[in-house]
Amino acid sequence: MNWSFIAQYAPFFANAALMTIYISFFGVLLALAVGLVCAAVESAHVPVLRQIVRVYVELSRNTPLLVQLYFIYFGLPKLGVVLSAQACAIVGLAFLGGSYMAEALRGGFDAVPRVQLESAQMLGLTRIQTLSHVQIPQALSTAIPGVVANVIFLVKESSVVSAIALADVMYVTRDLMGMTYDTYEALTLLIITYLVILLPISIIGTILERRFDYARR
Amino acid sequence: MTDQRQEAVPVVPVDVDAHNSNSAASDTRINQAGGLQIQGLVKQYPHSDHPVLNGISLDVPAGKVMVILGPSGSGKSTLLRTVAGLESMQGGQILMDGKPLDRHDVGMVFQSYDLFPNKTVLGNIIMAPMLVHKRSKEDATAEAMRLLERVGLADRKDAWPHELSGGQRQRVAICRALIMHPRIMLFDEVTAALDPEMVREVLDVIVELADQGLTMMIVTHEMAFARAVADRIVLLDGGKLVEQSDDAEAFFTHPQTERARQFLHTFAFERGHHAQNLDDQA
Repeated sequence: MNWSFIAQYAPFFANAALMTIYISFFGVLLALAVGLVCAAVESAHVPVLRQIVRVYVELSRNTPLLVQLYFIYFGLPKLGVVLSAQACAIVGLAFLGGSYMAEALRGGFDAVPRVQLESAQMLGLTRIQTLSHVQIPQALSTAIPGVVANVIFLVKESSVVSAIALADVMYVTRDLMGMTYDTYEALTLLIITYLVILLPISIIGTILERRFDYARR
Repeated sequence: MTDQRQEAVPVVPVDVDAHNSNSAASDTRINQAGGLQIQGLVKQYPHSDHPVLNGISLDVPAGKVMVILGPSGSGKSTLLRTVAGLESMQGGQILMDGKPLDRHDVGMVFQSYDLFPNKTVLGNIIMAPMLVHKRSKEDATAEAMRLLERVGLADRKDAWPHELSGGQRQRVAICRALIMHPRIMLFDEVTAALDPEMVREVLDVIVELADQGLTMMIVTHEMAFARAVADRIVLLDGGKLVEQSDDAEAFFTHPQTERARQFLHTFAFERGHHAQNLDDQA
């Protein structure tokens, strides 16, 4: 192990980690929003929209993120939509993550007992109020384990964005391996960086799971 | 008995303008209990040959308590759910004081625990008045606390539903319905899922509401409770009204139809002391 390499290049990884976190954070946030809308549409059996959601989910789950990313980065400009590399990465993660989040959340929505919705209806709540105050909180509660797993999955998938020249941790690692041939050291730092990012997410997920499991109590 | 009830001071706080204003605390308002008229109600599910409710007509005068009895599958719960607007109807009409029933005037408590698990006791009660009536949090909380006080749960206001017993949950569910100032309350087998020792605390609350002149329709299997609380009794069987009695006591002591006698006898058989009573009176 070349320790001087680690001392010298660790700051590079810290910077690159910020890029990974930045893209993942907004990608996950957008994915959650997309997933929430899709799950609500599906569990409410909204005609037409429901079919559109199905097509989107299948398209998103059955194509590789790299291909989706290329399409957004190289394909969309041909249609007149030009996004920065960062925006492309975020949109790409959201496009992939949206379907995974939708599936996780749909299970949560389906687990809300019908009497909960009837109670809300009897109290005079509108459908939107019922959705935001009764269904979504309870659906999230049931869906937390799946959602957390998806968040971790998406942060890991974000390594693909190096393919569109974004300086995330994967990109920096490849760069350093090419420059220094200290392959072992670079990969060790890469793994440590991912663990530092992901372990706290895992732990927070477990805490959330315990805190918000009211729907199953 | 029924006369006394009418004279009882209505304590149920009802804000008659609740739907079109955000008037403040309404303790002093008089409860505008509504009378319910059901005429020729027909309920039939698609792809089914037999109607669940087959031409039900009945009348619940304002401030009176109607208990609906009947074997399981007779359509009791469906009747309540149709009045509540949770089920569509294929014929007939449901009126309140002669006008089409406004669903906002209907409060309902269900059999299963229907409190919102993502809200505390207080949160469960104040959510709807804040969202639907646009009342301030302070105002809604003040009334919620008065209601909780009355059902003996003021000290549990910050508890989560899963921390409550079944009986406590049902009492909170009653408060949650009352704060919306319904003109009629529907109770659908509210004690059926409770342990026996918790039944009493819930039924006591309902009896108190009856004494205060709230119009109610109650589906129950608790015969002693039905006998104590009912002004009127109807017996449903196979989606039809078999017997209707304006004198609840007479229904139990001198049922008019053979079906009613049979039905009461079923319960009498299950409960030794009632068998004795009925036989004595027969």
